[in-house]
Amino acid sequence: MEHAIYLVTLVGTALVVAAAFSSLIAFRFGAPLLLLFLCIGLATGTDGLGIEFDNARIAYFAGSLALAVILFDSGFGTPLNALRQAAGPALSLATFGVLLTTGLFGAAAYYLLDLSWLESFLLGAAVASTDAAAVFFLLRAGEINLRERVRSTLEVESGTNDPIAIFLTITLVEVIAAHANPETNVLVTSLILGFLVNMGLGAILGALGGLAIVRLVDRLNLDHGLLPIFVLTLSLMVFAAAGAVGGSGFLAVYIAGLIAGNSDIRAVTILKRFQDGMSWLAQIIMFLILGLFATPSQFPAIMVPAIALGLFLMFVARPIAVWLCLIPFRLPRPEVAFVSWVGLRGAVSILLAITPLLGGLENGRTIFNAAFIIVLVSLVIQGWTVGPLARRLGLIVPARLGPLDKVELELPGSAHHELLAYRVAHGSPVARGERIPRWARPSLVLRDGRSMRFQDMGRLAAGDQVYIFVPDRYPRLLDKLFASRAVVDPEDADFFGAFAVDPARSAAELEAAYAPGLTEAEQKLTVGALVTARLGGHAEYADRVLIGSIELIVRDVDDKGRITGLGLSFEPTAPVARVPVFLSAGEMGDRLSAFIRNWRKPTETQEAAAQKDEPPEPPVERATTGS
Amino acid sequence: MDLSDLISVPAILPALKANSKKQLLQLLSERAAAISGIPEREVFDTILQRERLGSTGVGNGIAIPHGKLAGVKRIAGVFARLETPVDFESLDDQPVDLVFLLLAPEGAGADHLKALSRIARVLRDADTVAKIRGTRDAAAIHALLSDTQASHAA
Repeated sequence: MEHAIYLVTLVGTALVVAAAFSSLIAFRFGAPLLLLFLCIGLATGTDGLGIEFDNARIAYFAGSLALAVILFDSGFGTPLNALRQAAGPALSLATFGVLLTTGLFGAAAYYLLDLSWLESFLLGAAVASTDAAAVFFLLRAGEINLRERVRSTLEVESGTNDPIAIFLTITLVEVIAAHANPETNVLVTSLILGFLVNMGLGAILGALGGLAIVRLVDRLNLDHGLLPIFVLTLSLMVFAAAGAVGGSGFLAVYIAGLIAGNSDIRAVTILKRFQDGMSWLAQIIMFLILGLFATPSQFPAIMVPAIALGLFLMFVARPIAVWLCLIPFRLPRPEVAFVSWVGLRGAVSILLAITPLLGGLENGRTIFNAAFIIVLVSLVIQGWTVGPLARRLGLIVPARLGPLDKVELELPGSAHHELLAYRVAHGSPVARGERIPRWARPSLVLRDGRSMRFQDMGRLAAGDQVYIFVPDRYPRLLDKLFASRAVVDPEDADFFGAFAVDPARSAAELEAAYAPGLTEAEQKLTVGALVTARLGGHAEYADRVLIGSIELIVRDVDDKGRITGLGLSFEPTAPVARVPVFLSAGEMGDRLSAFIRNWRKPTETQEAAAQKDEPPEPPVERATTGS
Repeated sequence: MDLSDLISVPAILPALKANSKKQLLQLLSERAAAISGIPEREVFDTILQRERLGSTGVGNGIAIPHGKLAGVKRIAGVFARLETPVDFESLDDQPVDLVFLLLAPEGAGADHLKALSRIARVLRDADTVAKIRGTRDAAAIHALLSDTQASHAA
């Protein structure tokens, strides 16, 4: 007995260590890390080194817990303003997107695989959820700085679509397992009712749980070592409680994380660090177990149709679903294209594909194997092309700040103050004589190994270590003061325009200098207001606006979304690959009205219309996978 | 477009001395007035008006002040290499020592903008800029500015 414990632990830890090592490789080569984890599982499993693991129940149980941990962390790390910014598109994707993908994919699966209609939709639901963990790892590994709105949309979508895909899959499994052959309308009504109850309970319990976690952490004076474990356990309790009463535990745990992470919870740094680690461990375990559980020798039987389905999902189902879901939102086409390509499938899909086995479905193995292959296809093809595609679509923005050397220190017994230690970087504003604002209280400076009071110091020099005592919500300003200068290479000068324009000046002056053809009303605005208006009321760092033959580029935006810096370029070359598909409702309206105007006055507007029409180009997906 | 179309050797000030941005712009306007025959005051006011919209210092010690004037017949510029750099309120806070002033006729439109971006491009070439900084000869600077290789390197 004792021997078995050692053996199992040895094998288990060896696998995790191998996975941890593989992360080094992944960072170096930008390979999809999760694919590596999965491969380690496969290589050591039944058909590899021969570890027998065939317990669907354990695999599903461990996988669900791991997913709950990941979702809590993902909610915890999502700032509220990201949620606000992306709530509409992301929720549309997470609900209708999942349904549409399931439907489109299910129809294809019915014809390609030997499955019934319901089973086809079941497979569709399993592979309908996006695994953003993979995406964000890739982006981080490639040091890719994604535009804010795309980033938030993907983040929120991936967090919220799992519960919905899970609900859909489990419901379908239950229906099929009951051997009921329900009328379509009965099925649909019970689905909708079940959905509302499930999500409603999950959301309510999640919100209550999140508030309770914050309260408890604040009230109980727990030891710092115990605190993160306490929070993690509470989050799993929320997950279990919501699930036990028939709500969605996964939605509950995500929302609890969202609430806890966005309230001024105590010891936030410690919690973040711990959850980061737990999230890693959960991912590793999840992929290893799922890899172990699979039996690759069964794959060849359905290899061809499964790969075809994987490609169908990537090139047809997901793009159509994303496009339809995002029509109401005026998202630029490159962003829509990117979101649709980054529908990476991951562990959740494989995990969900276990449920048919648990439900004892006849075709359970086929469904599981098909889902597994589809996930592999997606991880390989999409995983490897995310970076290049983002670059091609112009969704990458230069880093706002240069490197920053900062340590946050938790102060015992105080939730509202923090001690920050900055090392003064070469070329940073403070090193060049900029003052530190009054609300930040610089207390101590370390120079050449000696400590001095800040008041006794002259000007700060590069290499000084400054300890600053700040009230809890310090703005980004301090980081800006201490960061070294962002490296701007010539390409970035292209990006931001050679010249600067003061956003507070009147747009009439812009008209006087360059005659871009502003209307009377527009000339009454400031340049900043003009740009914001042209952008549809929401300006974001690195947004570009073409006005006549000049282009204005947003160089900086303050915390309230006001433009504080603008660049001016006379070479409005579109560095962005044109995406001919994915029109939004607004654009459709524009085109339609242009068409009508054109039709009424054919001669006058022909030229304008000719400029609007874009030359036919192959869809961007096809163009990029080849390279 | 070649920069040699925009600037002549007499329009190059190879070793200018100025203490401030204002004085620099005045000296440049003076030379531009001498070449184009437009009153110096008008040139200076136009250039200053554009500077209020945002500094034309493009970084790395380079500035490209510009403006449109009714009396100008064709797009033309004045170039100065400063002995000691002056503050120009550039975005990167670096003082400026190479200045290309460009004047365009009121209706120049796209050609004006094209000329500006051409100048910005040529002066972004680190090699060209280093060579210009290393000489005090107007003809040499003119040759460097209109060096086809640099102006087509874009």
